[in-house]
Amino acid sequence: MLEVADLEVRYGAIQAVRGISLTAKRGELIALLGANGAGKSTTIMCIAGALKPAAGSIRIAGEDVTSAGPEAMIRKGLATVTETRDVFPDLTVAENLMLGSYIRRHDRAGVTEDRERMLTLFPRLAERSSQPAGTLSGGEQQMLVIARAMMSRPKVLLLDEPSLGLAPAIVDQIFEMIGVLKRSGLTIVLVEQNIAKALEVADRAYVMRLGRIAASGTAGEISAATDFNAVYLGG
Amino acid sequence: MTFALQFLIDVLSLGGAYALMALGLVIVYGILKLVNFAYGELIMVAGYTLFLVGGSGLPWLVMAAVAVLMAVIAGILTDYVAFRPVRAKSVTAVLITSFAFSTLLQNAALLFISPRPRNVPMPAAFSQTVELAGVITPVRNLITIAAAVVLLGVFTFLMRRTVLGIAMRAAATNFTMARMLGVPANLIISSAFAISGLLAGIVGILWIGRIGTVVPGIGNEPLLVAFIATVIGGMRSLGGAVLGGFLLALIDTTLNYTLSQELLKFRDAFTFSLVILILLWRPEGLLKGPATGQRT
Amino acid sequence: MLRHLLTIAILAGLVLLLVAGVEALGVRVFDRIATNLCISLVLVLGLQIFMGNSGILSFAHIGFMGVGAYTSALLTIPAQMKGMALPDLYAVLQGVQLPPYAAMVVGGLVAAAVAAVLSYPLMRLSDAAAVITSFALLVVLHTIMTNWSNVTNGPRTLFGVPRATDLPMAAIAAILAVITALAFKESRTGRLLRASRDDEIAAGALGVHTAQLRWRSFVLAAFVAGIGGALWGHFITSFSPNAFYLRETFVILGMLVIGGANTVTGAVIGTFLVTGAFEGLRAIEGALNSARIFSEQVIGITEVVLALAMIAVLILRPGGLFPTREIGALLARKFAKRKHVS
Repeated sequence: MLEVADLEVRYGAIQAVRGISLTAKRGELIALLGANGAGKSTTIMCIAGALKPAAGSIRIAGEDVTSAGPEAMIRKGLATVTETRDVFPDLTVAENLMLGSYIRRHDRAGVTEDRERMLTLFPRLAERSSQPAGTLSGGEQQMLVIARAMMSRPKVLLLDEPSLGLAPAIVDQIFEMIGVLKRSGLTIVLVEQNIAKALEVADRAYVMRLGRIAASGTAGEISAATDFNAVYLGG
Repeated sequence: MTFALQFLIDVLSLGGAYALMALGLVIVYGILKLVNFAYGELIMVAGYTLFLVGGSGLPWLVMAAVAVLMAVIAGILTDYVAFRPVRAKSVTAVLITSFAFSTLLQNAALLFISPRPRNVPMPAAFSQTVELAGVITPVRNLITIAAAVVLLGVFTFLMRRTVLGIAMRAAATNFTMARMLGVPANLIISSAFAISGLLAGIVGILWIGRIGTVVPGIGNEPLLVAFIATVIGGMRSLGGAVLGGFLLALIDTTLNYTLSQELLKFRDAFTFSLVILILLWRPEGLLKGPATGQRT
Repeated sequence: MLRHLLTIAILAGLVLLLVAGVEALGVRVFDRIATNLCISLVLVLGLQIFMGNSGILSFAHIGFMGVGAYTSALLTIPAQMKGMALPDLYAVLQGVQLPPYAAMVVGGLVAAAVAAVLSYPLMRLSDAAAVITSFALLVVLHTIMTNWSNVTNGPRTLFGVPRATDLPMAAIAAILAVITALAFKESRTGRLLRASRDDEIAAGALGVHTAQLRWRSFVLAAFVAGIGGALWGHFITSFSPNAFYLRETFVILGMLVIGGANTVTGAVIGTFLVTGAFEGLRAIEGALNSARIFSEQVIGITEVVLALAMIAVLILRPGGLFPTREIGALLARKFAKRKHVS
């Protein structure tokens, strides 16, 4: 479903991503792991179209989308949940969800149906539907951005650090939702610092170090074979 | 009592005009974080269009609509000439191109029309006065208040109830995220310039109606007014710009009634010093808008 | 070091060539144009000192030109003229009369002092807030010049300023401005400021006090602008506050932007080009007007063309004609390459 080949990203003279290749099949959840500064978020933002790659290619369902801008990516079926949890703070929860379905706003029946589905999946959002998103708690904002991304009916969902800065109980809930989304047939790329949680839900995992893939394999292989202390503490 | 009503009408009619001017500037600033120095020339375009169609014998409202339409077109043109080609390069470059575009339009009017004031057709109501509870006031003040109320209402509806409006508010806080949801950047920016032109066109006709003539520099004062009102009101917030417009009108009217003629000449120096002080104290403007957004 | 001397030699050479050419021709009109060009050079180089090094657009520059012009005029108008030119002048100033050269320096110093006081708090602002405050500063200075009748004669023309500026003097001032701008650019302050322009956060992290550096360049720029204004005042001999407002700002900014704001070479070349084009266009305007082809007077061609040129340059070559390297460095490099090849 998603194929990334030899991707390179530069910030001026600094090369943040040095030739990354990864694939995710339909309905697969792959985890992208690594220490801070390994290039995970840069990879995600580049796949999302917000950064231009210096080299390499990105394909969704076989179609080359390497040079598509961010507006085009979502039309190709790729939705992104950024690390910074970008809700529109002065828009209400309902308005945020509405913008999630911007590209299919003329399909009113479908949008209504999806909104109901999301509000059932995240009942907390239903309670706060007319509240400005800026007043939500961190966990609720995370639910909102995931729900908003789902409103575009994506084929591939990029999830950057969904557990960042959240209480353990909330993290459990969010991972439960990720499981539900995966079982619905969605392809997911998950970037996560919480390795244990990530490997619980992932089918396969890639470990990044200094802009390269250091190891890859099934979730089981990775958790057995990789010394995460070494990866995360830079040893 | 009579004085209070007089004062209120003065503040509301001046404030209505100021608020619309500020709104037209801030709608673009909010999304691009860039000041459009050619904003005053949109008012000039509306004025000269009205002058040019003046002899056509069309009903006045049709002529006014044509003038507003030309201001909208000029607004969109500003984006294509001064903003879009340099937007990605640097903030300074865009500010200079918009300043150059402003000079270009003003001097084109000097060159192709005239340096001298030109009469603009206005309905008779603009020069009549009416007595309201013992206060004699020009009808155009009441028209300005009514137009401001209607336009602010329409604008609020547009920004709160339509998909485009909600997308524009979203883009003003986080342009990148809005684009990642599929909102086309160019549509949003062109819409902002079009709305800016619409507001400038309408407020321009009301503004020109006060004196009945148009000159190439007609837009300078509205631009300065919009600047001050925007800074007072908080440069990111649409509601703030409106409030800033009314506050500035309150300040101006109060100074008009209280300052001696000798000091009144320095009014602009006072208000602009106020602008500098506010920006020093709060670089984001007096009222806090939504959180910082990124530029594209 | 050699390449800086080369730059100075070439740019000063250009100015000297201009003076020599004009003197040789001996045509009055050319003398006027060349003097105006040299004064513009001073003003453009002043703006380059601030904008080129800090990367911030300033609208206030021409306001300080006005401060310099009025200060110098006030100190030089003969006492017997003052009664007519400035009927409401304060008694203290009525008897003051300095030689023009001293008054011009005082004009620069007053402009620098005004800038030093007013701008210190403004220098920490960046982006839109910095531009709006500098614009507001221009409006404030202009309003004061227009209305402080006691010292400026209000919006009316101030006349009776003694004529003191001639071509050699303006040329010397222009060459000194070239040297000042280049010396500032290469000074420690200038280098740090340019580092902060390229990356404000990184420079701040290295302990660079950006606001302080900007302030120094702003004050120096105001000093140069004040001198430029005084030179202009003693050349034109009568002027009104409208000479120091948006039109002049636009012209000076246009010269800098077309040449390239980041380099001294760009500032000089831009001034030469724009002055040349302006005079050509003005001649066309004059010809059209005297031929009476159109019922109305033709004005505005020069501004329309300059505006189009500015927009075109910023779109096609955003750094101007000399975006990064000075002429001396460019030639030195070319020379070195050739030597390398042979």
